[in-house]
Amino acid sequence: MNRYTKNKIVFWLFVAPALIAFIVVVIIPFFMGIYYSMTDWSAIAGEETTFIGLANYKEMFSDVAFRYSFLRTFLFTLFSVISVNIVSLMLALLVTRESKFRNIFRAGFFVPNLIGGLVLGYIWQFIFKSIVPSMGTVFNIPALENLLILAEPNLTLLGVIMAFTWQYAGYIMMIYVAALMNVPQDLVEASQIDGANFWNRLRNIIVPMIAPAFTVTTFLTLVNSFKQFDIIIALTSGGPATLYGDQVVNSTELLAVHIYNVAFTYNRMAEGQARAIIFFLVLSIVSLAQVYYNKKKEVEM
Amino acid sequence: MATENSTAVKDFKDYKQATPTKKKVVKVVLFIITFIMFLLTMFPFFIVIINSAKSSLEIITEPILMPENWGNLIKNVVEIWNKPSLRYPSSVLTSVIITVISLLTISLFSSMAAWVLVRTKTKTSTFIFMLFIIGLIIPFQVVMFPLVALFRNIYLATGIKMLRTYYGMIFAYIGFGTPLSVFLFHGFIKSVPMALEEAATIDGCSKPRVFFNMIVPVLKPIFVTVLILNGIWIWNDFLLPSLILGVGQEIQTIPLAIRAFAGSFVKKWDLIMTTVLMAAIPVIIGFLFGQKHIIKGMVAGTIK
Amino acid sequence: MSKTRVIAVLIAMVLVFTIFSGCAKEEKSVVIYQNKVEINEQLTAFAAVYEAETGVKVIVKTAGGDTPYAENLKAEFQSDRQPEIFVVEGMGGYNTWKSKLAPYEGDEWIDLTALEFVVDGKVYGFPVAVEAWGMAYNVELLEKAGVDPATLTSQDAYAAAFAKIDGMKDELGIDSAVAMAAGPDMAWVTGLHNFNGYLSAGLELGDTAILDKLNKGEADVDRLTEYADWVELLFMYADEAVLLTGNYDAQVGQFATQKSVFIHQGNWIDPWLMDYLTDETMFDMAYAPHASVKGEHDAIFIGAPSFYVLNNESENLDEARAFLNYMATNAAGHNYMVNEAKMIPAFTNVTLIPNSPLSANVVKWLAKGKAGSYTWLQNDMPDGFGMGTIAPVYEIYAKGDITKAEFIAQLVDKIEALK
Repeated sequence: MNRYTKNKIVFWLFVAPALIAFIVVVIIPFFMGIYYSMTDWSAIAGEETTFIGLANYKEMFSDVAFRYSFLRTFLFTLFSVISVNIVSLMLALLVTRESKFRNIFRAGFFVPNLIGGLVLGYIWQFIFKSIVPSMGTVFNIPALENLLILAEPNLTLLGVIMAFTWQYAGYIMMIYVAALMNVPQDLVEASQIDGANFWNRLRNIIVPMIAPAFTVTTFLTLVNSFKQFDIIIALTSGGPATLYGDQVVNSTELLAVHIYNVAFTYNRMAEGQARAIIFFLVLSIVSLAQVYYNKKKEVEM
Repeated sequence: MATENSTAVKDFKDYKQATPTKKKVVKVVLFIITFIMFLLTMFPFFIVIINSAKSSLEIITEPILMPENWGNLIKNVVEIWNKPSLRYPSSVLTSVIITVISLLTISLFSSMAAWVLVRTKTKTSTFIFMLFIIGLIIPFQVVMFPLVALFRNIYLATGIKMLRTYYGMIFAYIGFGTPLSVFLFHGFIKSVPMALEEAATIDGCSKPRVFFNMIVPVLKPIFVTVLILNGIWIWNDFLLPSLILGVGQEIQTIPLAIRAFAGSFVKKWDLIMTTVLMAAIPVIIGFLFGQKHIIKGMVAGTIK
Repeated sequence: MSKTRVIAVLIAMVLVFTIFSGCAKEEKSVVIYQNKVEINEQLTAFAAVYEAETGVKVIVKTAGGDTPYAENLKAEFQSDRQPEIFVVEGMGGYNTWKSKLAPYEGDEWIDLTALEFVVDGKVYGFPVAVEAWGMAYNVELLEKAGVDPATLTSQDAYAAAFAKIDGMKDELGIDSAVAMAAGPDMAWVTGLHNFNGYLSAGLELGDTAILDKLNKGEADVDRLTEYADWVELLFMYADEAVLLTGNYDAQVGQFATQKSVFIHQGNWIDPWLMDYLTDETMFDMAYAPHASVKGEHDAIFIGAPSFYVLNNESENLDEARAFLNYMATNAAGHNYMVNEAKMIPAFTNVTLIPNSPLSANVVKWLAKGKAGSYTWLQNDMPDGFGMGTIAPVYEIYAKGDITKAEFIAQLVDKIEALK
């Protein structure tokens, strides 16, 4: 056996296990999904599927619930990205300045990230439904006592953002901490001696130095909030309902939940699949645009 | 720039005037802010713990107060432990088996693939790497319905049971876990100098041997990153196992058990809180034990 | 050396994939895939009794509550061990699964019930239980308020009673007259149960005229208008927190802690009540007639919530049928249904009387025969219509986002969209 073929064999042997699993689990279903989205597929084994072209896609764009879900998902994503990044950057700055209890704080802020979205959703549902009114009673604040967070569409969305921030900020904080530790200490000290105050240092030294981290953290929060599912099903079940135009819609039924509901609650698998394809396209475009934009910014800084 | 310079001058004066006491005050204030944030972060855990120790009626009437009798905590834990619909001990075991084997296989297979992908400069190699990158942006929602159908078809064609089995579940995790892991390893290996490997190859070492003896030890920090990221995901994952393993089946992970229990129309919050506590404890203990490595690994992995 | 390494890796891979696949010894067994989370433990225990008696293993699998049963059932059929017995709730489920169903023929239990699920003269479903819902009331509180439950036979009587009770809140120590829930967690209470009042209240048992119209996309606007008055009444006299965000516990909890006189719920709340209330805190309760539409009423909604159906691809159908027949005809089965699962069996040969408060009262209604029951039709609507499509309409009406006229218009819209 010559060296060239031997190398080739090793190459395939090393690549094969990961590649096969990946192709079977992701790539093949992906193409199957594109096909199913153009059929009347019911997912019941043994039932015929017929090709119906783009009918599922047409149906989707005339569905108000779908359009509304898109809108809410964008809103949720936008505010989550902002909220998670602000909180985590703040935590990172606090944690890196603190010397004595640095490790305890860092671990503490990270711990919520270990809790799965499902469990977390149940915890926050309990907090919003029982703890908040009960705090109103104990501290005698009637406004809090009668506050039904999960009955008001925007408050509920805010609640989901809070829960998501609680879970995710600790993880994003870690990335900022790593980036902050890369900021050369002598640069910071020099600026201190030069008399730059904290805000100046943040603007002129720290932010430019951690710009690459911004790209990563924005990407991660964007993708993860766009795909949010677990927290919502446990926290709000998609509710509360509200009026959009003259249509009744579910205010926190974000896209991932919406797709799931169309497929399973209404038993329209193929339509759900078509919506998932659009979901994929939009997510790819938005996230690639974000990375492109941030990379450009990085260079400018 | 000009205006910033002038503020810098002003700040310089401030700095000169700053006395050691002022610096100390700033330090204390910052500590207090950090501490408050810490308390806020811990608040939900506090809620879970006090409410795990309440009786069914107590939790409805006084959710915010301290429990009347901490002994209830033991009672609730014992009840959850023995609940046939939750099967807590066996669910934990299932979660451990699936997580551990998935992690080992994902990190082994991904590092192997990433290494040859970095070191082989061919069109095929680039293409395969691009394929993995595309996998990074394909959201789970797009493939989840067809995946179940495909697994069913695999069974019909070959007799290999992919649904409702451990190895089907693990196989799915390998498929979903590799893109990110290959990406992380790929980035890391790129920065590992080739000189050593070349020398070893000239000495007559075979490629696999070079990989296992020389590369794997170098990859340690990134292994930790991959293990943690995938570990947190797999341990807590709900949607994928709900499709592959199903809710209410013999093989049941912790999130499935919680959903089967807490998802019933009847919400017994006292027991749900206890369940939440018992689901979180294994992970938190694991985290506290490995905290140093974990934080180091996360930091190492994210810089790249 | 290098080759052994490669082989070692390969073996490791093969091991991973085969380690768990070794145990495939198949015995005759019956898998029952059901959707009542609350009876999971009891049914499993009964299955063990059955196995000890007959040697046939019965495996109980459960998915229900918030987890959509239909979805899990689909996955179950894609897996390699299909269930022998699964559950459909009515025509909606039948239409989805009809290609998979095998009829029952000549089974002993068929002659013992009037509630079997029949399509085109063939028996497809074994009634899981008899359930009923309506306006349950706290006997003592209602008496204290000076309202005679025998007079509650029309919407007007209810309106007067609610108004009277509402004026005595402090005296009675209650938060609201009725415990009603319309939040996102409670879509089944509004979209299925309450809406069933529109479908069948005041009609003869088995009359499906309104339902048939609905399935054709036609709304009976006059009837909907009468029905909307009833919804308005319930929402008006409900506690806001429970109505808008309350889950099951909040709603039943309000009634259990005697903070409401009425509750709009079914006898399935019995186990919850018996769990939470001790012998001292337990109180008498009963159902009053249900006045969803105009006219005089003396009935509550009684029916089988779901049916065990047979999978025609299963090889163990005889074992499955034997198991169900045993449940219906044997003392151990009766004990399981009545005393363990706290259900009311749908079979005339059962002599055990439930010891749980509401179920005991339902037995009395059942004894009135046809006159005491309105039909359950909510499961015969298209998939997702009740909980997915119309429940949010109730929710925003409860919040006051829309008027009663808009509420009616929305319902008409949704029904007409079914065309």
